[in-house]
Amino acid sequence: MSERPREDPVFLAADALDGLAGDLIAAGTEVVGPARADEPASPAAAAAAAAAAAAGLDKDVLEYRAVSRAADLALGPGMPRLSLKGLYLPQNEALFAWRQRGSDIEIEPAPTGARTRVVLGAKPCDAAALAIVDDVMNWDYADALWNGRREATTVFVLACGVEDDSCFCAAVGLAPDGSRGADGLLTPVEGGWLVEATSEKGAALVAAHAARFGAASAERREQAAAFRRTASERVATHLEIDADSVRDWIATHFDDPLLAALGVRCNGCGACASVCPTCHCFDIVEESDGLGHGTRRRCWDTCQSHKFTLHASGHNPRADQNARFRQRLNHKFAIYPLRFGEVLCTGCGRCARACHAGQDLVEILGAIDVAARRPDTVDVQSPETPARTVGAAAPASER
Amino acid sequence: MNELRQLARELLVDEKVDVVIGWEDGRRGARPAFVTAADDAERLIFDTRCVHNLATYLSPRRSHLAELGKVGLVVKGCDAKAVAGLLREAQLPRDRVVLIGVRCGGVLEVPDLPQPAELTSETVAPRCFRCDVREPHLADHLVGEERPDPPRPPMTIDERVAAVDALPVEQRWEFWVGQFSKCVRCYACRQVCPLCVCDRCIADKSLPQWVESASHPRGNLAWNLVRALHLAGRCVNCGECERFCPVGIPLSLVNRKLQQVVKQRFGYVVSDDPEAATPVGDYRLDDAQEFIR
Repeated sequence: MSERPREDPVFLAADALDGLAGDLIAAGTEVVGPARADEPASPAAAAAAAAAAAAGLDKDVLEYRAVSRAADLALGPGMPRLSLKGLYLPQNEALFAWRQRGSDIEIEPAPTGARTRVVLGAKPCDAAALAIVDDVMNWDYADALWNGRREATTVFVLACGVEDDSCFCAAVGLAPDGSRGADGLLTPVEGGWLVEATSEKGAALVAAHAARFGAASAERREQAAAFRRTASERVATHLEIDADSVRDWIATHFDDPLLAALGVRCNGCGACASVCPTCHCFDIVEESDGLGHGTRRRCWDTCQSHKFTLHASGHNPRADQNARFRQRLNHKFAIYPLRFGEVLCTGCGRCARACHAGQDLVEILGAIDVAARRPDTVDVQSPETPARTVGAAAPASER
Repeated sequence: MNELRQLARELLVDEKVDVVIGWEDGRRGARPAFVTAADDAERLIFDTRCVHNLATYLSPRRSHLAELGKVGLVVKGCDAKAVAGLLREAQLPRDRVVLIGVRCGGVLEVPDLPQPAELTSETVAPRCFRCDVREPHLADHLVGEERPDPPRPPMTIDERVAAVDALPVEQRWEFWVGQFSKCVRCYACRQVCPLCVCDRCIADKSLPQWVESASHPRGNLAWNLVRALHLAGRCVNCGECERFCPVGIPLSLVNRKLQQVVKQRFGYVVSDDPEAATPVGDYRLDDAQEFIR
């Protein structure tokens, strides 16, 4: 992704968005964005959707999905349930198909050609995750499927007004109006959006559809600046950590009671990893499609499951949930920054929202930050410190 | 609440238990609390947000929690049913746990609130309507005042099940395929279930791969059927699988439907009686099912 200084902003009126989306779709581009439930494709699906609605299901749920018209895009507040990562790393995908004939095996690779796609209104935290995960997807092996989709996709993020007090992008070096991983930024203003291209690809999209955009008035620029300022100030109050201190503390305190007993309330359900925009681990499985032929697939996986590190011998180096939760923190806030120079977290807060056991990354990072920067104030056995409530229930034998 | 805190404190001071597992206030609402020091008993709360079925922390799968020592577990009636299930299936020695029962008047369907809230017909968890264990009989101690009956929700669980049952078969199929297609195979439903106690789940077995782990329709259908059937006649309807599902699959409809089928076919209703004979754990010469006689 070639990043470049933001272009002078232009204005996209609300009713011009429909034309822009129409132009893109007519040219064969898939337009994706946050949207509510899709329209049912068949009468049976319509009846099923009605039954779901009657049972109170799927109401007001936002998902990133392909839309057929701009009116279906929900370009306002609201966090899509799953992040953008599934567009680049699907929940499961075929890597190749194989067929055995006698002693020969034929391999048929999965097509790598990625569909041209424009994402309108992604969350800045979700786009930033793409740039962060690029590091590992091009580390010792260039992942053609990931890279192909990255190249074929243009992402315009929508400046975020901050969802709730579980948002903490500012604490991990990002911002609600950040354009990392994106090709452009939309900011809501009166009657539409202020649009800034932030990459060659984004500038090319704006130039190719110049007729849809207008001049950005000084008044609208001021509105956009005010919106962004308010959001940045708000999210900064949710959590403040020094990521370098947190990294160094985690890397050197493997057996610290604060880090080693954080998994007590964690159910190991892995929902945090499913909703996380940066969790990218996958499992490779063989699926037999019949005798002598099958498919090799990769599927999302999570370090929170027992099976993730289970050895063939039966030994498991991460035998319990304390060890598995420590790994989650360690990978995101020490291992990844030590290898790639940045934390594997965008502060979207989905993990805290998805966890109904109250395993709370905002609180845990806060406690680790205190331990790292003000160690003299931390006493795990004292009810006065945050360390006490984040978990840290020591085995009976150690009390 | 004071009665609960006082009891927890006494159990810890008298060394009757090593840890009390209850609920406390968290940033996003009530959440499980693990209290090992008597002074921390002040953190314990009980209100309509205390939904998390804590019996899941007794699962033999959770070796790191067994290390905490003898447990004092705060239970609502539905949670006590799960404890009875563990006892019935010999997954838990009765003397490993002291049960602190709380009288319950129902809980919230969406409990992630910073403050307690009164139940209304709009906010009550539908499963609480006509609850038959608002006072946990199995408990060693019982605390709290008697509470009024939970309000009737606009649509009860049975009415929700009936609405899906009323669909013609192809539309019902479409409904469930649509719901299961959302599954991301995180297995949150299994992990949080107090009665998913298998040391190795069939979904984790790969030689052979009985259940495909890919989240395509075939794999998702296989997993969700296996989960449902393994809980048939065992599920206590605590609703935790549905609440923890990050993509909102209505698992309580599946579970409730199976409860109805089990009641109809085997005359069995899950209770908090740990001695009750269960459909899969009991043999009768006059069994209604011909194939087993």
